[in-house]
Amino acid sequence: MKKLVFCILASVLFACSNSPKVIDDLNDASFEMINQDSVAITFPDDYKGKYVVLGFIYTHCPDVCPIITRNMQEIQEQLGSPDDIQFVNVSFDPARDTPSVLKKYKEVRDIGANFDFLTADTTIMNSFLDSVRVRTQVSLSTVNEKGEKFYFLNHSDKIMVLNPKSQVIFEYGGSMTRPSMIVEDIKTVYK
Amino acid sequence: MKLRLLTLFILIGFAACTNNKTEEKTEITNKKKVITDWARPAAKGTMSGAYLIYTNTLNTTDTLVSASSDVAMMTQVHESYTTEEGLAGMREKKNASVAPGDELVLERGGLHVMLMRLKQDLAEGDSVAITLNFKKAGEVNYKVPVLKSND
Repeated sequence: MKKLVFCILASVLFACSNSPKVIDDLNDASFEMINQDSVAITFPDDYKGKYVVLGFIYTHCPDVCPIITRNMQEIQEQLGSPDDIQFVNVSFDPARDTPSVLKKYKEVRDIGANFDFLTADTTIMNSFLDSVRVRTQVSLSTVNEKGEKFYFLNHSDKIMVLNPKSQVIFEYGGSMTRPSMIVEDIKTVYK
Repeated sequence: MKLRLLTLFILIGFAACTNNKTEEKTEITNKKKVITDWARPAAKGTMSGAYLIYTNTLNTTDTLVSASSDVAMMTQVHESYTTEEGLAGMREKKNASVAPGDELVLERGGLHVMLMRLKQDLAEGDSVAITLNFKKAGEVNYKVPVLKSND
C-alpha cells in the first residue's frame, strides 16, 4: 500500500514539474572573456543567478548573424527587457571581432542594456565553443582589387537559454526560430 | 403602415451600410505594409546585406551578372545556405537567372546583395543606392532604406 501511495505521489510530482531537461551543464565551466566595453567577463559565473539568452555570431556575416541578433532583440522586447534576463552574443571570430568592433555592431543596431557582446583570446574562445557544441569553418576567402582579403565562416546557427544555475535548458536554430516561440518557452520557467 | 414600412427599409439600408464600412475598416487594419527592398544597419568597415525584388518584364530569360554600390568597397551577390554538416554557410552566387514574368527575389536567409567593407556607417534612416546589372535588361537602379528590423 505504501509503495502504491509513493508511486502515485511520485507520478503527481513528476507531472506537476515543468522543469525542462538539462541539455548541458556549464555550472563548473569558467571562461575569461571581454565584452564590447572592454570589461572582463567570466562566463558563465558573472551571469549566475540570471537566465541567459545566448547567441553566436560574427560581425562580418551580413545575413544569418544579423537575423540571430535581431531575433534576440525581439525576444528581449517581447519579454519587456527584464533586468534578470541577460542577453549575450558571443563572437566566434575573435581575430576580427575586437571589443571596439563589437561595440559599434551593438550601437548601429540600437541594442540596449543587459545585452553583452563577448570576445576572447582565440584559444579560450575555441575551448568555449567546443563546450557549447558550436562549430565554425572558413568557407570562402576572397581578395578585392586592392589585395584586401576577406573570409567568411560556415557556422552553427544557435540560440540557447541557460537557467540561473548556468545549465542549458533550451536550444534553437538561431535564425530560423520565431522569437515568440522562444519567449513562450522562457515564460514556462521564468516567473 | 406606409410610414412604418419606409422606416423599416431605411433602418435595414442603414444597417447594411454600417456593416460594409466595418468590414472595409477591418480589412484596412489587417493590411501590413511590406517593404521588400531594404538593407541592414552595419558599421563602417564591416558588412551589410541588402534585399531586393526584381521583376523580369522582358519576354526572355535574363541573368543577374553583378551588383554594385558606392557605399561598399566590394559588392557581390551571395546566397545563404545550409551545408551538408548542418552549418549556416554563404557562397557567392553568379549568374542567377530569372524567367520572363518571374521575380528574382533577394531575401533574408537566401540570395542577397553583400555590401562588403562599408565606407560608412549604415544606420536606420539612411538609404543605399544599389545597381543590379542584368545581361539583357542592363543596369537596374535601386535606392533602399536601411531598416533595423524588417524580419
